[in-house]
Parts: sequence; C-alpha cells; structure tokens
Amino acid sequence: MNFFEKVTGSDMTKEMKNFEARAKLLPTEYQTAWEEIKNNLWVYTDFTGRNLMPILDSALELLEVTAADGQTVEEVLGNDIKGFCAALVGDDGGKTYRDKWRDQLNQNVLRKLGGLK
Amino acid sequence: MSIKKIIEGKKEWRAHVSRVKSLPQDYQIVYKEIQKYLFKVGPVELGEGIGLLSEILAFFEEGVAAGKGVLEVTGTDVAAFCDALIEDSKTYADLYQESVKQKIDKKK
Amino acid sequence: MENITEMLKGVLEGCVLEIISRGETYGYEITQHLRDLGFTDVVEGTVYTITIRLEKNNLVNIEKKKSTVGPPRKFYTLTEAGREQLDLFWEKWGFVTNKLEELKTKEMKRR
Repeated sequence: MNFFEKVTGSDMTKEMKNFEARAKLLPTEYQTAWEEIKNNLWVYTDFTGRNLMPILDSALELLEVTAADGQTVEEVLGNDIKGFCAALVGDDGGKTYRDKWRDQLNQNVLRKLGGLK
Repeated sequence: MSIKKIIEGKKEWRAHVSRVKSLPQDYQIVYKEIQKYLFKVGPVELGEGIGLLSEILAFFEEGVAAGKGVLEVTGTDVAAFCDALIEDSKTYADLYQESVKQKIDKKK
Repeated sequence: MENITEMLKGVLEGCVLEIISRGETYGYEITQHLRDLGFTDVVEGTVYTITIRLEKNNLVNIEKKKSTVGPPRKFYTLTEAGREQLDLFWEKWGFVTNKLEELKTKEMKRR
C-alpha cells in the first residue's frame, strides 16, 4: 500500500498529483528521496491522509529549494530518513532529531563560513 | 491552491531568490542553512507565502548595509536565533499531533 | 557583562518596549542602546526576534522608511496594548527586585 491507494477524496488526489508533478522535476537522487519520505510518512496518516498534506508540501519544498542550490540529498536529509520523517510529524521518536537539526545547522554554518577564509 | 496563486508565488519566489543571491557570501551561506532548517521544522507561517523568509532576508540586508558580518547579527548560535524566531508559532508537526490526538479523544 | 543571556530572557522584551516608548526607533538602534548600556552579549538577531514577536502580538506600530544605506527600515512605536504591556513589565520587575533585595538583606526566619 502507498499514499495513492490510501489517500481518499478528490481534492486530496488532486493535491497528490500536484506533488508528483513537482517531484518529477527534481534530480533523480532527490526523486528517490521523495519516494522514501512518502514511504516512511504514510504510516502516520489517518484514513484520508489530509493531516499529512502540509507536511508533505513543506518536505517537497525543502527538496525543491535545496536541489536548486545544488546541495546533495545526504547533506539535506542526513542518512536516517525514517528518523527524519518521525521528526517531521513531531513523533516522540523524532524529538532528538530536532536537536540534530539544530546541531547540523550550527555545524554547517561553522564549516561553510570557515571555508570562506 | 489556485493556478493564479501558484504563478504569483513563483514570480515572488524568483524575486526572492535573486535578492538572496545579491547578499555577500557569508550571509548567503547562513541564509540557506536557516531556510533548510525552517523547512524541516515547518512553522505554519511558511505555508502563508514567503513572509517569514523575506523578513529574515530584509533583516540580513540591513546587516550588510551596516557593514556587519553575518554571525555578528545572528549571534554564533544560529539555531537559537531560528528557534526564537518561531518560538510561538505552531509547526505542521504540532498540527499533525493535534489531529491525531483529536481522533483518539473522539474514540473514547 | 557577558554570559547573562539565560537570565535576561523575558527581561529583554521589557527593555525593548521601554526603549521604543522613548520615541520612534529601529532594530539596529535598539541593539546599540542595549549594548551601550552594558548588555554586550546582545546582538541584532536577539532584538530582531523580540521585535518580530512584538509585531505579531500587536504591541508595536510599524512604519517603513527609506534608509540612506541599504533597504527600507522598520520603525517602531508602541501601541496602546504595548504601553499597557510595558507598565505591567515594570510592575512585575518592581516586585521581583523588591523580593530579591529582601531575600539578600533580611534575616531568614528558620522554621
């Protein structure tokens, strides 16, 4: 089972189709990540999938923006997509992940600014 | 989202990106990392257009004009700066957890 | 003084409100005020996150004005609600300092 099968309601199917159209424009590496994110997120969805739509939307936006910057998927998502998804929905298992995001942010800034000098 | 809104959004977004590109290197780096972080954390303001991001951008432009380095204006703990920015905003994760909780409450 | 960020949390908002109450001002100027006052740890970003919050809670009016250097600046003045918030802040501050002074100087009753 995947999102498409689970999602019900025509407005939602439309939104999913919209997402897929956007995802197709991503580099291959990013498309794979998008599939993986969906696979990991659908376990969190309720009957309609409605409550996950904004989360998917902003995840896709993250991919779009970082792909346009030419960053690697690894750098953006880390190597634990499952944990990443748990954090996206605010699951208990994701709490430490938000701390990780914080550390990543500060470390990236330090490293990249260091590279300037 | 209506088609019109999407097109307007794209135009707006392109203008935004070109403003980012005209920042000095150090500011660009920090801006991009902040943006990435915010998309992950997902405060609901992000879905309401580029308000929050363009606010940050304007703040950075002011820093550039004042001749300051980026970490001088954000402080060295950039994550703390971001968290303070969205301190009383709900995130998509919060909304999601609420929707789950409501369902459970209903079942009781 | 350095390393008092934790302690200043919550107090800084009051400081910013007070500075704005003295007359129309903008973020970088507020920061400079605080630093001159001796809060050297305060950076522009600290003040920025506070003014954003004040904006959201309708405690300040904003007027965008052109600047000679860089982008237009946001100038702040207090709204009626902002003034009330400021009064409340000083009231709370008065209470806290009173009690702390009492704690520091008066003898404690042992039970």
